[in-house]
Amino acid sequence: MLEAKTLSFAYADRPILKDVSVQIAQGDITVLIGPSGCGKTTLLRCLALLEQPKAGCVQVDEAVFSAPWPKGGIENPPWPRLTAVFQQLFLWPHLTLRENILMPVLRLHKTDNEDQLDALIEAFDMQAFITRYPNEASLGQRQRVALARALMLQPRYLLLDEITSALDVEQIAKILAYLKNLRGKQIGIFLITHLLGFARHTADQVLFMADGTIVERGGADILRNPQTERLSQFLSVIAAAS
Amino acid sequence: MSVLDVLITYHVAFLDGLRVTLELCAVIWPTGIVLGILLGVIAAGHPKIWGRFTRGMAFALSAIPTLVVLFWLHYPAQAVFDMVINPFFTASLTLSLVNVFGVGEMVRQAIADFPQQYLIAGRVCGLQRRDIVARIQLPILFRTLLPGLMVQQVIMLHTTLFASLISVEEIFRVAQRINSSIYRPVEIYTALGCFFLAVCLPINWFAAWLKKRYTRDLSER
Repeated sequence: MLEAKTLSFAYADRPILKDVSVQIAQGDITVLIGPSGCGKTTLLRCLALLEQPKAGCVQVDEAVFSAPWPKGGIENPPWPRLTAVFQQLFLWPHLTLRENILMPVLRLHKTDNEDQLDALIEAFDMQAFITRYPNEASLGQRQRVALARALMLQPRYLLLDEITSALDVEQIAKILAYLKNLRGKQIGIFLITHLLGFARHTADQVLFMADGTIVERGGADILRNPQTERLSQFLSVIAAAS
Repeated sequence: MSVLDVLITYHVAFLDGLRVTLELCAVIWPTGIVLGILLGVIAAGHPKIWGRFTRGMAFALSAIPTLVVLFWLHYPAQAVFDMVINPFFTASLTLSLVNVFGVGEMVRQAIADFPQQYLIAGRVCGLQRRDIVARIQLPILFRTLLPGLMVQQVIMLHTTLFASLISVEEIFRVAQRINSSIYRPVEIYTALGCFFLAVCLPINWFAAWLKKRYTRDLSER
């Protein structure tokens, strides 16, 4: 279980997260939705142990990381058992896309795991551009590579921040279908997205965040029958926009 | 007397001057690159003390003309400390200082401005600190710094001309001396240009090769 307990986070005096608690079980898909600027990415970064919360703790299986962290940073960080793919992707510009995927796995496992790579290349339709450099690939292609890099590391928990934002409908469908399959591999997925359709059909847990707090949580049915005014309002805005 | 005649007649003197110029470079280049990189790394790691010191010194040395520093170290400093130093050493020290702080500031800035997202990606991929440095940070920094470092070294080669003004028998001083005896400025300074071309062309080719081999256009296509 990946768990955040009463996380608080602030930039200077501006509170971003206020007593946020979430649980992400292995094999479950947790979808986080909410308006822009409500703290979704900050929560993801705190869960990934990349931001130090002001208070609260993050527990990754048995390991507990409580704020404040020790001076030299956290000890024995759980990466890549817990890993993340960010909206900005962060592919290394001096390596080809193939090298971006293989370098970490080669360093960690001392094997390039070609079979797994080939399967991912096929699943994400990456044959045509895998030898290019990041700046020679489209944003959608890079999104697939960033996800493939994370999956090659065989994480137990995968945190994804808007990773389908630049993909076309066909690619979104492929990637979401792949994510669904990851449930069978007991990978816990935490996904920030605006794809409410995916959340409705696939999510085991939906969290709605606004103003730094989890306003409503539940199964996918909260998207059909919201219990709070704020979520109803958010859903109607999205429905109107689409 | 043609340029070729000048080169043939005075080739021994020119080659002696070139030797001194290259000896100066043999001190300035490695000192600047090795100590400069070291200084830059330390300055980036300790921005409050070493970072400010490096920035301040680089700023001062870029603001004060190198010739002024060279003259100051050659005349007043030696008078104040009542010592006589070989002008070659004074020139080496001055130009090395300029190079060390120039390279140091370049490296400090490149490390300080290094995009943190690449390091974060390495961390969440589970890479060890040494792997992040060796596989991500150093290659990207090397590619970023390479063109600037090469330009800086060519500039330092050109700056060795100032050493002639404190009586270092480098190639420019040799050319001046020959000119004062035969007064053929066009031929002599053309010949001098040829020598600099001969030295700088291989450096520029090497820089271009390094650039082609290790750097690429990173702009979005």
